Amino acid sequence: MVNISLGQYYPGQSVLHRMDPRAKVLASIIYIVASFLCKNFFSFVLLFASAILLILVSRIPLRIVMRSIRALIFIMAFTAVLNIFWVTDTTAEPLIHWHFITVYTKGLYHALFILVRIVAMIIGTSLFLTYTTSPIALTDALEQLLHPLALLHVPVHTFAMMMTIALRFIPTIMDETDKIMSAQKARGADFTSGSLVQRAKALIPVIVPLFASAFRRADELATAMECRCYHGGEGRTRLRILKYHARDFLVLFALLVLIALLVTINILGARFGWLYTM
Amino acid sequence: MDPAQIVNRVPEGEVPKLRLEHITYRYSIGTPFEKRALDDVSLDIRRGRVTGLIGHTGSGKSTLVQLLNGLSKPETGRVLLDGEDIWREPKEIGKIRFRVGLVMQYPEYQLFEETVRADIAFGPKNMKLSDEEIKTRVSEAAAFAGVAEELLDKSPFDLSGGQKRRVAIAGVMAMRPEVLVLDEPAAGLDPQGRHAIFTGIREYNRLTGSTVLIVSHSMEDMAQYCDDVVVMSHAKILMAGTRDQVFARAEELEAVGLDIPLITRMTLLLIRGGMPLPSGIYTLEAAEEALSVAFGLPPVPPDKEDEGKGGTRSW
Repeated sequence: MVNISLGQYYPGQSVLHRMDPRAKVLASIIYIVASFLCKNFFSFVLLFASAILLILVSRIPLRIVMRSIRALIFIMAFTAVLNIFWVTDTTAEPLIHWHFITVYTKGLYHALFILVRIVAMIIGTSLFLTYTTSPIALTDALEQLLHPLALLHVPVHTFAMMMTIALRFIPTIMDETDKIMSAQKARGADFTSGSLVQRAKALIPVIVPLFASAFRRADELATAMECRCYHGGEGRTRLRILKYHARDFLVLFALLVLIALLVTINILGARFGWLYTM
Repeated sequence: MDPAQIVNRVPEGEVPKLRLEHITYRYSIGTPFEKRALDDVSLDIRRGRVTGLIGHTGSGKSTLVQLLNGLSKPETGRVLLDGEDIWREPKEIGKIRFRVGLVMQYPEYQLFEETVRADIAFGPKNMKLSDEEIKTRVSEAAAFAGVAEELLDKSPFDLSGGQKRRVAIAGVMAMRPEVLVLDEPAAGLDPQGRHAIFTGIREYNRLTGSTVLIVSHSMEDMAQYCDDVVVMSHAKILMAGTRDQVFARAEELEAVGLDIPLITRMTLLLIRGGMPLPSGIYTLEAAEEALSVAFGLPPVPPDKEDEGKGGTRSW
C-alpha cells in the first residue's frame, strides 16, 4: 500500500504492468540502446512509432506520460538549439546566413532527431520502469540482476535492503515533516517570510526533531529486525518470487526485432544515401 | 432529544468561545484517494469550560482540531473565535495561533532546543515578548504542566517520554492561549502520568479562565476531567452537551462502539434495577459515596488516595 503514494507508479493491469521487473529492467536497457542505434530519418520514424506503441500498450494516460517529458523540457530545448546552430553541412547551402548565425537544413533535422531520441528514452524508461513497476518490485529486480556481483564480494543484498528501507520510509518521513512543521507553526514559527538567512534559521526547529526521529526510527527498526532474526541475505527466502512468463520473452523478443529493423534501415540508408544521417 | 438541538447548547446571550459553522473538509481532493474528513460540522465550544472531544480513529477529530487555530482552512464554513471569523484577515492567521494554542499528538517529538527552558520559551519568543515576560511565562507554564524546576536546564533529549510530553505541553501553555487545544495529551502514558497531565490541564483552566478542548478516545478520562463532551462519528458530530447529557445516552454511545465508563454503566444498571442512586456517576469515589448514602452507611472517610492526589504532579 505504501508504494502507491510513492514516486510515479501508476497502478494498472497492462502487459507492461504484469511483466517481470527483471525483464523490464533489461527491456528498458535494450530500448535505450535501440534509441542510440538510430541513424537516419526512417529509423527515427520507426523509433517514434515504437514509443507510441509502448504508450498504447501500457494504457497510461497521455497526460501522465507528458508530465515526465515536461520535466526534461529545458534539456531538450537546449540540445535542440545547440544542434540547430552548431551543425554544419559542407555539402549544402545554408538555410539562413545572418552575421555569425548559420543554420543548415541538416541542423534542423539533427535537432529533430535528438528530440525524438530523448523523448523515446524517457518514454522507454518511464513506461517500462517508473510508471508500471512499484519501487519495491524494482529493488527486488535489481537485487537479483546484480546477484552475480556478490561473487566479487559486493554486498548486493545489503544495498537492496537499504534501498527498500529508504523507499519504505520516504512517505513516513514526509508525513513526519508535515506534522513537525504544523506543530512549530502552532507555536508561532514562520517559514514563509523574512530573508533567506531567517528562513533557513526557521527550519532548525523542523530539522532537529526530524533527525532525532529518523535516528530513533532507525534504531527501532534495527531492533525489530534483529528480533525477527534478520541476519542478511544468506539463506533468506522471498515473499514475492519473481518468475519469467511468456509475455516477458515476447516483449524482449519484440525489442530485439526492433533493433534488427533499425540496423537494417541504417545499412540500407548508408547504401542508398538516405536523408540526413547522423 | 434532538441531536441538533444539543449541538447548539450555549445558553441564550452567551457568545461561544469557538463556533464552527457548517464546516466541510476533504483530503486528496480530485484523486482516487479522496476522503471526506468533516461533513457539514457545526459546533459550539463554551467559554471557560473543559470540553472533551471523543470519537474513533478516523472520525475527524484531529482534522477538526487543526482547523481551530488555522493550520488548515475549511473548504466551506467558518470558524468563529469570540464571534469573529479567524480567516477574515488571512495574513493575520499567525496571531490566531497565539490565541488558540494547539498541542498536537505525540508532541514530545517536536522538541528541538538545547535546554528545556529554551524550548518552552520558543512560543513566547515568537510572540516577541520581553525577556522578563518570557521568564515568568516559562516558569508558570512549567508549573502547570508539572515540569520540575531542576529539569529546565537539561537537554530535552535526555528526559523520559512522560517528561518530554509535559515539556511540550508547557511550550504551548507558555503562550497563555485563550483556548488550549490538546490532541490526545495522555496517549501512551501510564495511569499516574495521565492523571498528572489532566490535573495540570484542569488547573490551567481553573486559574487562567481559559477554554480547554481535549481530544481523546478514553471515555474514562473524558468523564473524569471534562465539563462538556462532544462525540464524533464518521466525520459528523454525533452528540454534544454537558457530560451528564451525553452519558445519559449510553445506549447510543454503545451503538457506535464507544463505551461509557464501567462505573457509570454499573450505576445506570443499579438505577434501572430500582436502586435510589443519582445518575451521572463517573468516578469510583462518587460511586462509593452514593452507595453509602443509598445503604444508609456513614460517609466514607477521606481516602488516602485522595490525599495523595495533590502531590501527583511531582511524579
